[in-house]
Amino acid sequence: MSLKSIASVFILAAALVSCKDKDPEPVEVKKATVELKLDTKWENGDFNLGEVYYDDFTNRIRLDNFMSYFSFMTLTKDDGTEVVIKDFILANLANSTTISAEIEPGTYTGFKMGIGVPADYNTHVDPATYPSSSPLSVAGAQGMFWHWNTGYIFVKFEGKVDTSATEGVDLLNSFSFHVGDDPNFRQYTSNNENFVMKAGETTQIGINFHIDQILASGGNESIDLATDAVTHTSGNPNLAQVFINNMKNCITVD
Amino acid sequence: MKKKIIFFSLLIVFISCSDKFGSDLSIKIRIPAGFPEINYPDDNQPTKLRIELGRRLFYDNRLSADLTVNCSTCHVPSAAFTDGRTTSTGMSGNGGRRNAPTLANVAWLPYYMMEGGVPTLELQSLAPLHDSVEMGFNVMQMIERLNEDDEIRTLSRLAYNRDTFDAFVLTRSLAAFQRTIISGDTPYDRYITQHQNDALSEQEKRGLDLFFSERTQCGSCHKGIFFSDFDFHNIGLYENYSDPGKERENYKKEDNGKFKTPTLRNIALTGPYMHDGSISSLEEVLLLYNEGGKNHPNKDSRIKPLNLTPTEQADLIAFMKALTDWNFVQNRNLSPPE
Repeated sequence: MSLKSIASVFILAAALVSCKDKDPEPVEVKKATVELKLDTKWENGDFNLGEVYYDDFTNRIRLDNFMSYFSFMTLTKDDGTEVVIKDFILANLANSTTISAEIEPGTYTGFKMGIGVPADYNTHVDPATYPSSSPLSVAGAQGMFWHWNTGYIFVKFEGKVDTSATEGVDLLNSFSFHVGDDPNFRQYTSNNENFVMKAGETTQIGINFHIDQILASGGNESIDLATDAVTHTSGNPNLAQVFINNMKNCITVD
Repeated sequence: MKKKIIFFSLLIVFISCSDKFGSDLSIKIRIPAGFPEINYPDDNQPTKLRIELGRRLFYDNRLSADLTVNCSTCHVPSAAFTDGRTTSTGMSGNGGRRNAPTLANVAWLPYYMMEGGVPTLELQSLAPLHDSVEMGFNVMQMIERLNEDDEIRTLSRLAYNRDTFDAFVLTRSLAAFQRTIISGDTPYDRYITQHQNDALSEQEKRGLDLFFSERTQCGSCHKGIFFSDFDFHNIGLYENYSDPGKERENYKKEDNGKFKTPTLRNIALTGPYMHDGSISSLEEVLLLYNEGGKNHPNKDSRIKPLNLTPTEQADLIAFMKALTDWNFVQNRNLSPPE
Protein backbone atom coordinates (compact mmCIF):
# COMPACT_ATOMS: atom_id res chain seq x y z
CA MET A 1 0.00 0.00 0.00
CA SER A 2 1.36 3.39 -0.96
CA LEU A 3 1.86 6.18 1.53
CA LYS A 4 -0.93 8.11 -0.21
CA SER A 5 -3.41 5.21 0.25
CA ILE A 6 -2.55 4.86 3.94
CA ALA A 7 -3.08 8.59 4.48
CA SER A 8 -6.50 8.36 2.75
CA VAL A 9 -7.58 5.51 5.05
CA PHE A 10 -6.64 7.53 8.14
CA ILE A 11 -8.43 10.64 6.89
CA LEU A 12 -11.58 8.60 6.23
CA ALA A 13 -11.40 6.95 9.62
CA ALA A 14 -10.97 10.30 11.31
CA ALA A 15 -13.96 11.67 9.44
CA LEU A 16 -16.09 8.67 10.45
CA VAL A 17 -15.18 9.03 14.08
CA SER A 18 -15.94 12.75 14.12
CA CYS A 19 -19.30 12.26 12.32
CA LYS A 20 -20.48 9.60 14.80
CA ASP A 21 -23.17 10.79 17.18
CA LYS A 22 -21.68 11.94 20.41
CA ASP A 23 -22.88 10.34 23.67
CA PRO A 24 -25.31 12.64 25.39
CA GLU A 25 -23.70 14.74 28.11
CA PRO A 26 -24.62 13.34 31.52
CA VAL A 27 -27.12 15.55 33.23
CA GLU A 28 -25.67 16.68 36.49
CA VAL A 29 -28.13 16.11 39.30
CA LYS A 30 -27.50 18.74 41.89
CA LYS A 31 -27.09 17.31 45.36
CA ALA A 32 -28.03 18.66 48.73
CA THR A 33 -25.48 18.89 51.51
CA VAL A 34 -26.27 17.59 54.97
CA GLU A 35 -24.19 18.33 58.02
CA LEU A 36 -24.60 16.21 61.15
CA LYS A 37 -23.34 18.31 64.05
CA LEU A 38 -22.56 16.41 67.24
CA ASP A 39 -22.70 18.70 70.24
CA THR A 40 -22.82 18.49 74.02
CA LYS A 41 -25.33 20.34 76.23
CA TRP A 42 -25.96 20.92 79.92
CA GLU A 43 -29.57 21.70 80.78
CA ASN A 44 -30.15 22.90 77.21
CA GLY A 45 -27.25 25.35 77.36
CA ASP A 46 -23.81 24.77 75.92
CA PHE A 47 -21.56 22.34 77.74
CA ASN A 48 -17.84 22.94 77.96
CA LEU A 49 -15.37 20.24 78.74
CA GLY A 50 -13.17 21.15 81.67
CA GLU A 51 -15.77 23.41 83.32
CA VAL A 52 -17.34 22.48 86.67
CA TYR A 53 -21.07 21.69 86.82
CA TYR A 54 -23.46 20.58 89.59
CA ASP A 55 -25.31 17.36 88.83
CA ASP A 56 -28.69 16.23 90.22
CA PHE A 57 -26.97 14.86 93.32
CA THR A 58 -25.21 18.21 93.90
CA ASN A 59 -21.90 16.60 93.06
CA ARG A 60 -19.50 19.06 91.47
CA ILE A 61 -18.22 17.42 88.32
CA ARG A 62 -15.70 18.19 85.64
CA LEU A 63 -15.72 16.08 82.50
CA ASP A 64 -12.24 15.77 80.99
CA ASN A 65 -12.70 13.21 78.25
CA PHE A 66 -15.73 12.05 76.28
CA MET A 67 -15.02 9.81 73.29
CA SER A 68 -17.57 7.64 71.57
CA TYR A 69 -18.00 5.41 68.56
CA PHE A 70 -21.06 5.94 66.39
CA SER A 71 -21.96 3.65 63.56
CA PHE A 72 -24.06 3.73 60.43
CA MET A 73 -25.46 7.24 60.87
CA THR A 74 -28.42 7.03 58.54
CA LEU A 75 -31.13 9.33 57.24
CA THR A 76 -34.45 7.88 56.09
CA LYS A 77 -36.25 9.51 53.18
CA ASP A 78 -40.02 9.92 53.14
CA ASP A 79 -40.25 7.05 50.64
CA GLY A 80 -38.42 4.77 53.08
CA THR A 81 -35.04 4.89 51.34
CA GLU A 82 -32.15 4.83 53.76
CA VAL A 83 -28.99 6.83 53.14
CA VAL A 84 -25.92 6.03 55.21
CA ILE A 85 -24.13 9.30 55.91
CA LYS A 86 -21.23 7.73 57.80
CA ASP A 87 -20.38 4.11 58.51
CA PHE A 88 -18.13 4.60 61.55
CA ILE A 89 -16.86 7.57 63.43
CA LEU A 90 -14.90 7.89 66.64
CA ALA A 91 -16.06 11.26 67.89
CA ASN A 92 -14.24 13.33 70.44
CA LEU A 93 -17.26 14.95 72.01
CA ALA A 94 -15.02 17.44 73.76
CA ASN A 95 -15.19 19.32 70.50
CA SER A 96 -18.19 19.90 68.32
CA THR A 97 -17.89 17.40 65.48
CA THR A 98 -19.48 17.90 62.07
CA ILE A 99 -19.95 15.17 59.47
CA SER A 100 -20.90 16.32 55.98
CA ALA A 101 -22.24 14.39 53.03
CA GLU A 102 -23.89 15.07 49.73
CA ILE A 103 -27.25 13.37 49.34
CA GLU A 104 -30.28 13.36 47.08
CA PRO A 105 -32.54 16.36 47.66
CA GLY A 106 -35.87 15.55 49.25
CA THR A 107 -37.63 15.21 52.55
CA TYR A 108 -36.08 13.01 55.19
CA THR A 109 -38.24 11.86 58.05
CA GLY A 110 -35.91 9.82 60.21
CA PHE A 111 -32.43 9.61 61.63
CA LYS A 112 -30.74 6.66 63.29
CA MET A 113 -27.30 5.67 64.45
CA GLY A 114 -25.61 3.00 66.51
CA ILE A 115 -23.94 4.01 69.74
CA GLY A 116 -20.86 1.81 69.72
CA VAL A 117 -19.75 -0.76 67.16
CA PRO A 118 -22.23 -3.43 66.01
CA ALA A 119 -21.40 -7.05 66.87
CA ASP A 120 -20.37 -8.00 63.31
CA TYR A 121 -17.63 -5.38 63.45
CA ASN A 122 -16.82 -5.61 67.13
CA THR A 123 -15.76 -8.96 68.52
CA HIS A 124 -13.48 -11.31 66.61
CA VAL A 125 -12.31 -8.39 64.53
CA ASP A 126 -8.63 -7.54 64.31
CA PRO A 127 -8.06 -3.75 64.32
CA ALA A 128 -4.65 -4.31 62.70
CA THR A 129 -6.35 -5.44 59.48
CA TYR A 130 -8.01 -2.06 58.84
CA PRO A 131 -6.20 0.68 56.93
CA SER A 132 -4.96 3.34 59.32
CA SER A 133 -7.48 5.81 57.90
CA SER A 134 -10.34 3.78 59.40
CA PRO A 135 -11.62 4.68 62.88
CA LEU A 136 -11.61 0.94 63.58
CA SER A 137 -7.87 0.58 62.88
CA VAL A 138 -5.20 0.51 65.59
CA ALA A 139 -4.28 4.08 64.65
CA GLY A 140 -7.88 5.25 64.31
CA ALA A 141 -9.13 3.62 67.50
CA GLN A 142 -6.73 5.68 69.63
CA GLY A 143 -6.71 3.00 72.29
CA MET A 144 -10.49 2.51 72.21
CA PHE A 145 -10.33 -1.28 72.19
CA TRP A 146 -9.80 -3.78 74.97
CA HIS A 147 -6.37 -5.34 75.04
CA TRP A 148 -7.14 -8.39 77.19
CA ASN A 149 -10.37 -9.18 75.41
CA THR A 150 -11.89 -8.60 72.00
CA GLY A 151 -13.99 -5.65 71.03
CA TYR A 152 -13.97 -1.90 71.02
CA ILE A 153 -14.57 0.43 73.94
CA PHE A 154 -17.72 2.15 72.71
CA VAL A 155 -17.56 5.11 75.06
CA LYS A 156 -15.01 6.66 77.38
CA PHE A 157 -16.44 9.23 79.82
CA GLU A 158 -13.87 10.41 82.34
CA GLY A 159 -13.35 13.27 84.73
CA LYS A 160 -13.15 14.46 88.32
CA VAL A 161 -15.80 14.88 90.99
CA ASP A 162 -16.22 16.48 94.40
CA THR A 163 -19.11 14.96 96.30
CA SER A 164 -19.02 17.46 99.19
CA ALA A 165 -20.84 20.08 97.11
CA THR A 166 -18.54 22.73 98.52
CA GLU A 167 -17.63 25.56 96.21
CA GLY A 168 -13.90 25.95 95.76
CA VAL A 169 -12.96 22.51 97.02
CA ASP A 170 -10.60 20.60 94.75
CA LEU A 171 -12.17 17.84 92.70
CA LEU A 172 -10.13 14.99 94.02
CA ASN A 173 -12.05 11.89 93.04
CA SER A 174 -11.98 10.40 89.57
CA PHE A 175 -14.86 8.95 87.64
CA SER A 176 -14.36 6.71 84.66
CA PHE A 177 -16.89 4.93 82.49
CA HIS A 178 -15.48 2.64 79.80
CA VAL A 179 -18.43 0.93 78.16
CA GLY A 180 -18.27 -1.75 75.49
CA ASP A 181 -19.28 -5.33 74.72
CA ASP A 182 -21.97 -6.47 72.28
CA PRO A 183 -24.93 -6.40 74.70
CA ASN A 184 -24.23 -2.71 75.34
CA PHE A 185 -24.51 -1.68 71.70
CA ARG A 186 -27.46 0.69 71.39
CA GLN A 187 -29.46 1.88 68.40
CA TYR A 188 -30.74 5.45 68.59
CA THR A 189 -33.69 6.18 66.30
CA SER A 190 -35.59 9.38 65.77
CA ASN A 191 -38.69 9.27 63.55
CA ASN A 192 -41.27 11.88 62.57
CA GLU A 193 -38.59 14.33 61.60
CA ASN A 194 -38.98 16.74 58.70
CA PHE A 195 -35.61 17.55 57.22
CA VAL A 196 -36.08 19.16 53.83
CA MET A 197 -32.89 18.97 51.81
CA LYS A 198 -32.77 21.31 48.86
CA ALA A 199 -30.44 20.96 45.90
CA GLY A 200 -27.39 23.14 46.24
CA GLU A 201 -28.20 24.03 49.83
CA THR A 202 -26.74 22.89 53.14
CA THR A 203 -28.96 21.63 55.93
CA GLN A 204 -27.57 21.16 59.40
CA ILE A 205 -28.95 18.53 61.78
CA GLY A 206 -27.95 18.89 65.39
CA ILE A 207 -27.37 15.72 67.39
CA ASN A 208 -27.19 16.86 70.97
CA PHE A 209 -25.93 14.95 73.99
CA HIS A 210 -27.37 16.31 77.23
CA ILE A 211 -24.66 15.44 79.72
CA ASP A 212 -26.81 16.37 82.73
CA GLN A 213 -29.26 13.62 81.75
CA ILE A 214 -26.53 10.95 81.65
CA LEU A 215 -25.88 11.67 85.32
CA ALA A 216 -29.53 12.18 86.19
CA SER A 217 -31.18 11.04 89.41
CA GLY A 218 -34.33 9.01 89.67
CA GLY A 219 -35.36 5.42 89.18
CA ASN A 220 -33.14 2.61 88.05
CA GLU A 221 -31.27 4.81 85.65
CA SER A 222 -29.67 7.17 88.14
CA ILE A 223 -25.92 7.49 88.37
CA ASP A 224 -24.60 9.12 91.54
CA LEU A 225 -20.87 9.64 91.14
CA ALA A 226 -20.50 9.48 94.92
CA THR A 227 -21.17 5.74 94.75
CA ASP A 228 -21.11 4.75 91.08
CA ALA A 229 -17.98 6.29 89.68
CA VAL A 230 -16.15 3.52 87.84
CA THR A 231 -16.96 0.83 85.35
CA HIS A 232 -14.76 -0.82 82.76
CA THR A 233 -17.87 -2.81 81.79
CA SER A 234 -16.23 -5.91 83.22
CA GLY A 235 -16.31 -5.64 86.97
CA ASN A 236 -19.47 -3.51 86.98
CA PRO A 237 -21.56 -4.50 83.96
CA ASN A 238 -24.79 -3.17 85.50
CA LEU A 239 -23.39 0.33 85.79
CA ALA A 240 -22.12 0.11 82.21
CA GLN A 241 -25.64 -0.80 81.08
CA VAL A 242 -27.23 2.09 82.99
CA PHE A 243 -24.67 4.48 81.51
CA ILE A 244 -25.23 3.43 77.92
CA ASN A 245 -29.01 3.54 78.37
CA ASN A 246 -28.75 7.05 79.77
CA MET A 247 -26.48 8.06 76.93
CA LYS A 248 -28.99 6.82 74.39
CA ASN A 249 -31.82 8.62 76.19
CA CYS A 250 -29.94 11.90 76.53
CA ILE A 251 -29.83 12.48 72.77
CA THR A 252 -32.03 15.01 70.99
CA VAL A 253 -32.07 15.76 67.30
CA ASP A 254 -32.99 19.13 65.86
CA MET B 1 22.57 17.84 42.94
CA LYS B 2 21.96 17.56 46.70
CA LYS B 3 18.67 15.75 46.00
CA LYS B 4 20.45 13.30 43.73
CA ILE B 5 23.02 12.52 46.42
CA ILE B 6 20.24 11.90 48.97
CA PHE B 7 18.36 9.72 46.48
CA PHE B 8 21.39 7.58 45.68
CA SER B 9 22.34 7.31 49.35
CA LEU B 10 18.84 6.07 50.14
CA LEU B 11 19.01 3.68 47.20
CA ILE B 12 22.30 2.25 48.48
CA VAL B 13 20.84 1.75 51.99
CA PHE B 14 17.77 0.12 50.45
CA ILE B 15 19.80 -2.23 48.24
CA SER B 16 22.22 -3.16 51.01
CA CYS B 17 19.35 -3.93 53.42
CA SER B 18 17.57 -6.04 50.80
CA ASP B 19 20.79 -7.89 50.01
CA LYS B 20 21.34 -8.60 53.66
CA PHE B 21 18.02 -10.39 54.05
CA GLY B 22 17.63 -11.83 50.56
CA SER B 23 14.19 -12.65 49.23
CA ASP B 24 11.56 -14.20 51.44
CA LEU B 25 10.87 -17.93 51.39
CA SER B 26 7.95 -20.04 52.59
CA ILE B 27 8.92 -22.29 55.43
CA LYS B 28 7.57 -25.65 56.45
CA ILE B 29 7.60 -25.74 60.23
CA ARG B 30 8.61 -29.11 61.65
CA ILE B 31 5.78 -30.51 63.75
CA PRO B 32 6.60 -33.05 66.49
CA ALA B 33 5.24 -36.57 66.05
CA GLY B 34 1.71 -36.86 67.37
CA PHE B 35 1.01 -33.11 67.11
CA PRO B 36 -1.73 -31.87 64.77
CA GLU B 37 -0.96 -29.52 61.89
CA ILE B 38 -0.95 -25.80 62.62
CA ASN B 39 -3.81 -23.77 61.17
CA TYR B 40 -2.06 -20.67 59.92
CA PRO B 41 -4.16 -17.58 59.14
CA ASP B 42 -4.39 -16.84 55.41
CA ASP B 43 -2.66 -13.51 55.89
CA ASN B 44 0.17 -14.92 57.97
CA GLN B 45 1.57 -18.05 56.40
CA PRO B 46 5.06 -18.78 57.77
CA THR B 47 8.04 -17.42 55.88
CA LYS B 48 11.69 -17.02 56.77
CA LEU B 49 11.60 -13.23 57.03
CA ARG B 50 8.25 -13.01 58.85
CA ILE B 51 9.64 -15.26 61.55
CA GLU B 52 12.95 -13.39 61.61
CA LEU B 53 11.21 -10.03 61.96
CA GLY B 54 9.02 -11.44 64.75
CA ARG B 55 12.06 -12.79 66.53
CA ARG B 56 13.80 -9.42 66.39
CA LEU B 57 10.74 -7.65 67.76
CA PHE B 58 10.22 -10.25 70.49
CA TYR B 59 13.60 -9.33 71.96
CA ASP B 60 13.45 -5.59 71.23
CA ASN B 61 13.19 -3.15 74.16
CA ARG B 62 11.87 -0.49 71.81
CA LEU B 63 8.50 -2.19 72.21
CA SER B 64 8.19 -0.77 75.73
CA ALA B 65 7.55 2.89 76.48
CA ASP B 66 10.64 3.33 78.65
CA LEU B 67 12.89 0.98 76.62
CA THR B 68 13.40 -1.36 79.59
CA VAL B 69 11.44 -4.50 78.76
CA ASN B 70 10.58 -6.72 75.82
CA CYS B 71 8.53 -9.88 75.35
CA SER B 72 11.36 -12.07 76.62
CA THR B 73 11.44 -10.20 79.92
CA CYS B 74 8.42 -12.27 80.98
CA HIS B 75 8.93 -15.13 78.52
CA VAL B 76 12.50 -16.34 79.02
CA PRO B 77 13.56 -19.26 76.79
CA SER B 78 15.49 -21.06 79.54
CA ALA B 79 12.36 -21.06 81.73
CA ALA B 80 10.26 -22.51 78.90
CA PHE B 81 9.20 -18.95 78.06
CA THR B 82 8.00 -18.06 81.55
CA ASP B 83 9.92 -15.84 83.98
CA GLY B 84 10.19 -17.68 87.29
CA ARG B 85 8.44 -14.85 89.12
CA THR B 86 5.24 -14.99 91.14
CA THR B 87 3.73 -12.34 88.91
CA SER B 88 5.59 -10.63 86.11
CA THR B 89 7.38 -7.33 86.42
CA GLY B 90 6.67 -4.89 83.63
CA MET B 91 7.96 -1.51 82.62
CA SER B 92 9.43 0.69 85.39
CA GLY B 93 9.30 -2.27 87.77
CA ASN B 94 5.49 -2.36 87.70
CA GLY B 95 4.10 -5.47 89.36
CA GLY B 96 1.85 -7.54 87.13
CA ARG B 97 -1.35 -9.22 88.18
CA ARG B 98 -0.73 -12.71 86.89
CA ASN B 99 1.93 -15.36 86.55
CA ALA B 100 3.49 -15.41 83.08
CA PRO B 101 2.19 -18.39 81.09
CA THR B 102 4.51 -20.49 78.94
CA LEU B 103 4.54 -19.75 75.23
CA ALA B 104 5.33 -23.37 74.34
CA ASN B 105 2.95 -24.54 71.61
CA VAL B 106 0.87 -21.34 71.54
CA ALA B 107 0.32 -22.05 67.84
CA TRP B 108 -2.34 -24.58 68.83
CA LEU B 109 -4.23 -22.59 71.45
CA PRO B 110 -7.88 -21.99 70.51
CA TYR B 111 -7.89 -18.67 72.40
CA TYR B 112 -5.53 -16.60 74.50
CA MET B 113 -5.32 -15.02 77.98
CA MET B 114 -6.35 -16.92 81.09
CA GLU B 115 -10.01 -16.00 80.65
CA GLY B 116 -9.83 -16.86 76.95
CA GLY B 117 -11.08 -13.53 75.63
CA VAL B 118 -8.63 -13.10 72.77
CA PRO B 119 -9.27 -15.31 69.73
CA THR B 120 -6.00 -15.09 67.79
CA LEU B 121 -2.29 -14.93 68.44
CA GLU B 122 -2.10 -11.88 66.20
CA LEU B 123 -4.55 -9.97 68.42
CA GLN B 124 -2.95 -11.24 71.58
CA SER B 125 0.32 -9.48 70.82
CA LEU B 126 -1.38 -6.12 71.34
CA ALA B 127 -2.35 -7.00 74.92
CA PRO B 128 1.00 -6.60 76.72
CA LEU B 129 2.00 -3.68 74.50
CA HIS B 130 -1.03 -1.67 75.56
CA ASP B 131 -1.10 -2.80 79.18
CA SER B 132 0.05 0.08 81.38
CA VAL B 133 1.61 -2.40 83.80
CA GLU B 134 3.46 -4.44 81.18
CA MET B 135 4.90 -2.44 78.27
CA GLY B 136 2.70 0.61 78.70
CA PHE B 137 2.94 1.89 75.17
CA ASN B 138 0.70 3.66 72.75
CA VAL B 139 1.13 1.29 69.82
CA MET B 140 1.18 4.09 67.29
CA GLN B 141 4.07 5.84 69.05
CA MET B 142 5.96 2.56 69.17
CA ILE B 143 5.34 2.01 65.46
CA GLU B 144 6.65 5.50 64.74
CA ARG B 145 9.78 4.70 66.77
CA LEU B 146 10.44 1.44 64.92
CA ASN B 147 9.82 3.00 61.53
CA GLU B 148 13.01 4.96 62.02
CA ASP B 149 14.90 1.67 61.73
CA ASP B 150 15.90 0.93 58.11
CA GLU B 151 16.18 -2.81 58.71
CA ILE B 152 12.74 -3.05 60.29
CA ARG B 153 11.23 -1.17 57.36
CA THR B 154 13.07 -3.36 54.85
CA LEU B 155 11.95 -6.53 56.60
CA SER B 156 8.36 -5.24 56.66
CA ARG B 157 8.49 -4.72 52.92
CA LEU B 158 10.14 -8.01 52.10
CA ALA B 159 8.05 -10.10 54.49
CA TYR B 160 4.64 -8.49 54.22
CA ASN B 161 4.89 -6.23 51.17
CA ARG B 162 4.08 -3.17 53.29
CA ASP B 163 5.67 0.21 52.60
CA THR B 164 6.23 0.85 56.28
CA PHE B 165 6.25 -1.01 59.56
CA ASP B 166 2.67 -0.84 60.84
CA ALA B 167 0.24 -2.53 63.24
CA PHE B 168 -0.42 -5.28 60.72
CA VAL B 169 3.27 -6.15 60.42
CA LEU B 170 3.77 -5.86 64.18
CA THR B 171 0.98 -8.26 65.09
CA ARG B 172 1.62 -10.70 62.24
CA SER B 173 5.36 -10.98 62.68
CA LEU B 174 5.20 -11.45 66.45
CA ALA B 175 2.62 -14.19 65.93
CA ALA B 176 4.70 -15.77 63.14
CA PHE B 177 7.68 -16.10 65.48
CA GLN B 178 5.61 -17.34 68.40
CA ARG B 179 4.16 -20.11 66.23
CA THR B 180 7.68 -21.50 66.00
CA ILE B 181 7.92 -21.83 69.81
CA ILE B 182 7.21 -25.54 69.68
CA SER B 183 7.99 -28.10 72.33
CA GLY B 184 7.38 -31.81 71.80
CA ASP B 185 10.60 -33.62 72.48
CA THR B 186 10.35 -35.01 75.99
CA PRO B 187 10.96 -38.43 77.54
CA TYR B 188 7.16 -38.78 77.61
CA ASP B 189 6.97 -38.12 73.83
CA ARG B 190 9.74 -40.62 73.15
CA TYR B 191 7.90 -43.19 75.25
CA ILE B 192 4.45 -42.59 73.75
CA THR B 193 5.03 -41.69 70.11
CA GLN B 194 8.39 -43.35 69.45
CA HIS B 195 7.66 -46.34 71.67
CA GLN B 196 11.02 -46.14 73.43
CA ASN B 197 10.21 -48.24 76.44
CA ASP B 198 13.24 -47.05 78.36
CA ALA B 199 12.50 -43.36 77.77
CA LEU B 200 10.62 -43.29 81.08
CA SER B 201 11.90 -44.74 84.36
CA GLU B 202 9.75 -47.16 86.33
CA GLN B 203 8.82 -44.38 88.75
CA GLU B 204 7.82 -42.10 85.86
CA LYS B 205 5.70 -44.87 84.37
CA ARG B 206 3.92 -45.38 87.70
CA GLY B 207 3.34 -41.62 87.77
CA LEU B 208 1.96 -41.71 84.23
CA ASP B 209 -0.53 -44.44 85.14
CA LEU B 210 -1.62 -42.54 88.21
CA PHE B 211 -1.91 -39.28 86.25
CA PHE B 212 -4.36 -40.78 83.75
CA SER B 213 -6.18 -42.92 86.33
CA GLU B 214 -9.84 -42.63 87.35
CA ARG B 215 -8.59 -42.08 90.88
CA THR B 216 -6.71 -38.82 90.30
CA GLN B 217 -8.38 -37.72 87.02
CA CYS B 218 -5.45 -35.35 86.41
CA GLY B 219 -5.60 -36.32 82.76
CA SER B 220 -9.26 -35.42 82.39
CA CYS B 221 -8.40 -31.71 82.34
CA HIS B 222 -4.70 -31.93 81.48
CA LYS B 223 -5.53 -34.09 78.50
CA GLY B 224 -4.32 -34.82 75.01
CA ILE B 225 -1.01 -34.08 73.41
CA PHE B 226 -0.95 -30.59 74.95
CA PHE B 227 -1.98 -31.67 78.43
CA SER B 228 -4.91 -29.25 78.42
CA ASP B 229 -8.60 -29.40 77.61
CA PHE B 230 -8.41 -25.63 76.96
CA ASP B 231 -11.50 -25.30 79.16
CA PHE B 232 -11.98 -23.18 82.28
CA HIS B 233 -12.04 -24.62 85.78
CA ASN B 234 -12.13 -23.51 89.37
CA ILE B 235 -9.80 -25.82 91.25
CA GLY B 236 -10.50 -24.54 94.77
CA LEU B 237 -7.35 -22.50 95.09
CA TYR B 238 -9.22 -19.92 97.20
CA GLU B 239 -12.52 -19.50 98.98
CA ASN B 240 -12.61 -15.95 97.60
CA TYR B 241 -10.78 -15.04 94.41
CA SER B 242 -9.44 -11.52 94.05
CA ASP B 243 -8.98 -12.25 90.33
CA PRO B 244 -12.40 -13.26 88.95
CA GLY B 245 -10.91 -15.27 86.06
CA LYS B 246 -13.43 -16.20 83.38
CA GLU B 247 -16.09 -14.09 85.10
CA ARG B 248 -14.12 -11.02 84.10
CA GLU B 249 -14.87 -11.80 80.47
CA ASN B 250 -18.47 -13.03 80.62
CA TYR B 251 -19.77 -11.52 83.90
CA LYS B 252 -21.17 -14.89 84.99
CA LYS B 253 -20.92 -15.59 88.71
CA GLU B 254 -20.75 -19.30 87.98
CA ASP B 255 -17.46 -18.67 86.21
CA ASN B 256 -15.84 -16.85 89.11
CA GLY B 257 -12.40 -18.28 89.84
CA LYS B 258 -12.25 -20.30 86.63
CA PHE B 259 -9.06 -20.15 84.58
CA LYS B 260 -7.98 -21.84 81.38
CA THR B 261 -6.30 -25.20 81.99
CA PRO B 262 -2.58 -24.60 81.49
CA THR B 263 -0.41 -27.08 79.64
CA LEU B 264 1.82 -29.25 81.82
CA ARG B 265 4.56 -29.49 79.21
CA ASN B 266 7.83 -28.23 80.78
CA ILE B 267 5.99 -27.83 84.08
CA ALA B 268 9.20 -28.44 86.03
CA LEU B 269 10.61 -25.25 84.49
CA THR B 270 7.58 -22.98 84.71
CA GLY B 271 7.08 -22.44 88.43
CA PRO B 272 5.81 -20.78 90.49
CA TYR B 273 2.36 -22.11 89.71
CA MET B 274 -1.30 -21.07 89.46
CA HIS B 275 -2.71 -17.97 87.76
CA ASP B 276 -1.17 -15.77 90.43
CA GLY B 277 2.04 -17.73 91.03
CA SER B 278 0.96 -18.33 94.61
CA ILE B 279 2.36 -21.88 94.83
CA SER B 280 6.09 -22.18 94.53
CA SER B 281 6.69 -25.90 94.02
CA LEU B 282 5.14 -28.92 92.36
CA GLU B 283 5.06 -30.64 95.75
CA GLU B 284 2.85 -27.88 97.14
CA VAL B 285 0.60 -28.01 94.06
CA LEU B 286 0.12 -31.71 94.64
CA LEU B 287 -0.66 -31.03 98.29
CA LEU B 288 -3.52 -28.72 97.23
CA TYR B 289 -5.00 -31.40 94.98
CA ASN B 290 -4.38 -34.19 97.50
CA GLU B 291 -6.38 -32.28 100.10
CA GLY B 292 -9.18 -31.55 97.63
CA GLY B 293 -8.77 -27.78 97.39
CA LYS B 294 -10.65 -25.12 99.32
CA ASN B 295 -14.39 -24.72 99.35
CA HIS B 296 -15.83 -22.65 96.57
CA PRO B 297 -19.29 -22.91 94.97
CA ASN B 298 -17.72 -23.15 91.50
CA LYS B 299 -15.10 -25.75 92.38
CA ASP B 300 -14.86 -28.53 89.81
CA SER B 301 -16.50 -31.71 91.10
CA ARG B 302 -13.39 -33.70 90.26
CA ILE B 303 -11.35 -31.79 92.82
CA LYS B 304 -11.66 -33.89 95.98
CA PRO B 305 -9.28 -35.46 98.49
CA LEU B 306 -7.10 -38.02 96.71
CA ASN B 307 -5.40 -39.65 99.69
CA LEU B 308 -2.19 -40.15 97.74
CA THR B 309 0.67 -41.72 99.65
CA PRO B 310 4.04 -39.92 99.71
CA THR B 311 5.35 -42.50 97.21
CA GLU B 312 2.44 -41.89 94.86
CA GLN B 313 2.97 -38.15 95.09
CA ALA B 314 6.66 -38.63 94.28
CA ASP B 315 5.70 -40.81 91.30
CA LEU B 316 3.36 -38.15 89.95
CA ILE B 317 6.01 -35.47 90.28
CA ALA B 318 8.59 -37.70 88.58
CA PHE B 319 6.16 -38.12 85.68
CA MET B 320 5.54 -34.40 85.41
CA LYS B 321 9.30 -33.80 85.32
CA ALA B 322 9.45 -36.18 82.38
CA LEU B 323 7.45 -33.58 80.45
CA THR B 324 10.57 -31.41 80.20
CA ASP B 325 11.96 -30.68 76.75
CA TRP B 326 15.60 -29.73 77.17
CA ASN B 327 16.20 -29.31 73.44
CA PHE B 328 13.37 -26.80 73.35
CA VAL B 329 14.84 -24.51 76.00
CA GLN B 330 18.21 -24.55 74.24
CA ASN B 331 16.82 -24.07 70.72
CA ARG B 332 19.02 -21.39 69.13
CA ASN B 333 16.33 -20.54 66.60
CA LEU B 334 14.28 -19.20 69.48
CA SER B 335 17.06 -17.26 71.16
CA PRO B 336 17.77 -13.54 70.69
CA PRO B 337 19.07 -12.59 67.24
CA GLU B 338 22.85 -12.15 67.13
